[in-house]
Amino acid sequence: MRILTTFKQETLKLLKKTRAWLGPILVFVLIMIAYPLTVELSSQNLSDAFYPVLFISCLLVMMLATEGIFLEDFEDGSLEQLVITGNSLYQSIIIKIFIYWLFIGIPISILGSLFNVGSGNTMDSSLMLLPPLMITTYIFLILFCFGNALSLTKGSVLGTLITMPLLLPILVILGKLTTAILFNINYFGFLILLFGILSIIIFIFPAIISKIIKTHLE
Amino acid sequence: MEDRLLIQANKLSYKINDNKLFSNFSLSLSAGQAIHIKGSNGSGKSTLLRILGGITEPSKGFVDKKPNINLSYLGHKNALKTYLTVRDNLILLNLKGKREINNLLDLFGLNDRLDIVTGNLSFGQQKKLALIRIFINKSDLILLDEPFVGLDSETQEILSNFLNKKVSEGVGLIFTSHIAANIQANTVSISS
Amino acid sequence: MLREIINTVIKKFIHQFASPKTYFLQVKRLYPWVFYISIAIYVVAITWGLLFTPKDFVQGNSYRIIYFHVPASFIAQSLYAAMAFSSAVYLIWKVKLAAYLSRSIAPVGATVTLIALISGSIWGIPTWGTWWEWDARITSTLILFIMYLGLISLHNSFNNFEKADKLFSYLAIIGFIQIPIIKKSVDWWSSLHQPASITISDKPSIDPVMLYPLFLSIIGFSGLVACLVILSSKVQIYKREKNKNWIKDYV
Repeated sequence: MRILTTFKQETLKLLKKTRAWLGPILVFVLIMIAYPLTVELSSQNLSDAFYPVLFISCLLVMMLATEGIFLEDFEDGSLEQLVITGNSLYQSIIIKIFIYWLFIGIPISILGSLFNVGSGNTMDSSLMLLPPLMITTYIFLILFCFGNALSLTKGSVLGTLITMPLLLPILVILGKLTTAILFNINYFGFLILLFGILSIIIFIFPAIISKIIKTHLE
Repeated sequence: MEDRLLIQANKLSYKINDNKLFSNFSLSLSAGQAIHIKGSNGSGKSTLLRILGGITEPSKGFVDKKPNINLSYLGHKNALKTYLTVRDNLILLNLKGKREINNLLDLFGLNDRLDIVTGNLSFGQQKKLALIRIFINKSDLILLDEPFVGLDSETQEILSNFLNKKVSEGVGLIFTSHIAANIQANTVSISS
Repeated sequence: MLREIINTVIKKFIHQFASPKTYFLQVKRLYPWVFYISIAIYVVAITWGLLFTPKDFVQGNSYRIIYFHVPASFIAQSLYAAMAFSSAVYLIWKVKLAAYLSRSIAPVGATVTLIALISGSIWGIPTWGTWWEWDARITSTLILFIMYLGLISLHNSFNNFEKADKLFSYLAIIGFIQIPIIKKSVDWWSSLHQPASITISDKPSIDPVMLYPLFLSIIGFSGLVACLVILSSKVQIYKREKNKNWIKDYV
């Protein structure tokens, strides 16, 4: 019951702020449009460098999406209300991140796979790209939330500075995954690896984040 | 009588970067009692309320609360979403107790404002809304930090009566206020 | 119950022996010893390494920068571990001194990491023909450097020291868990760096003639870094405890 309520609350809060969910998605689309413009059209090599661009833009967009994710609730006092009335901060953080993924991560993953076809890659590779993108956007969201929680009132630059080193292993895996998709070798191995990482951090990081937020509330 | 004890603070001290706000502060409150905390600006009244509420950890001392106590707290921040309507703000916190909501709305005169976006309300109205929101929940102990600030004298009167009624019904109340309040309460002052 | 007893015993122990005051006095006594002994060791190591060891067959004389580079890169990571450990002690037992220590290790760690990076790229010019190469160990050292800077900027962002200490400690510990993962992943990504010269399990791939001065240089360098940490922690204690009575006697 409580979970359902939190779910409704967080959805309402996110949906009412159009810029918070539509903004990042549109920025992503703009990057995807900007990419072919930077490549000489006659060289017709769009597909080659598409994957790194895609992954980096996912990362940037998730950074934008999580900017101030906890700040509003912190500044208007909702978080202290939550803690003082004895509700679980941990639970609400898990749900909040999940909803952000639902409304920003998933659309971006689908759009990313579509633009993959648009960049001259095969339909098959797009279908293979979709699941790792969905997992990766979730991982990025969680880790950026961690950074943003630490730098809660001090702006997103500090949060990003803190988070980026933690994201590098994921980027390395994504780099390897590109080859796996292009040559269809060991694709599921990488998928399971990403999924394993997600399943570890999905419940551990919200616990750390709630500790951090409680420190800020003190 | 022991089981009527709601909250007990033992020798609380608080300091930021080695600057002491207050030290050795003790208090205890039973159901149906009210305490008015007084002190000059910067003496740590708000911090004390936050310590009692369990958000801030005291530097020394500890707070004992009745197990499973229901707390309501309103500090300087209203915890309202200014981009949502009044109705959304009320329902966002709680999906139960619709009837109680209507009574409270009538009491504070906000019943015709349900569909207005909260950001368009005046400061005083937002304060009323915030108060209504914390009163919706059934609570054993109410902690209020300067509840009368921003309210007109009429509403201050309404709020005092409402709180007096709550206390007589057996709710505990701890509040800070520099505005003279018409609430039967023991006065406690803190100083460094 | 048992846990509570153990906790109180540890707490009592810590608060008696790990008060900033005790630390301050002990360190004041020890500092000159540490400083002179380690500088002597380091000078011996350097003299030995620079003058009395043969040229490397492939690299000629340029390899001699290892007496500087290897200790620095070795200590850069050990310092992070020490900082994370100290942060954990702070979070678990609320020992203030531990928080001061981890905060004061951060700038020293950043400096040592920077030394490792710079000496590494100087070494790279004659050896690889380039001062920068996207190789695994350089990359992870650079990341380590950025992590130190991130920690320092996080701590400096908050006026409330206690809050800053806690957030700093959380990040330091998460970073510590991440470092091996980052290293492994970057290793996996690419490696053209020569494998580590000294490992505990394998026989060293370096000639013993060069090895002894290298060991000495690591010891001496560590001592000097420890001196830096001590100085830096003194600054922290001055900063945090300036209102305490005892400290006024020593300023």
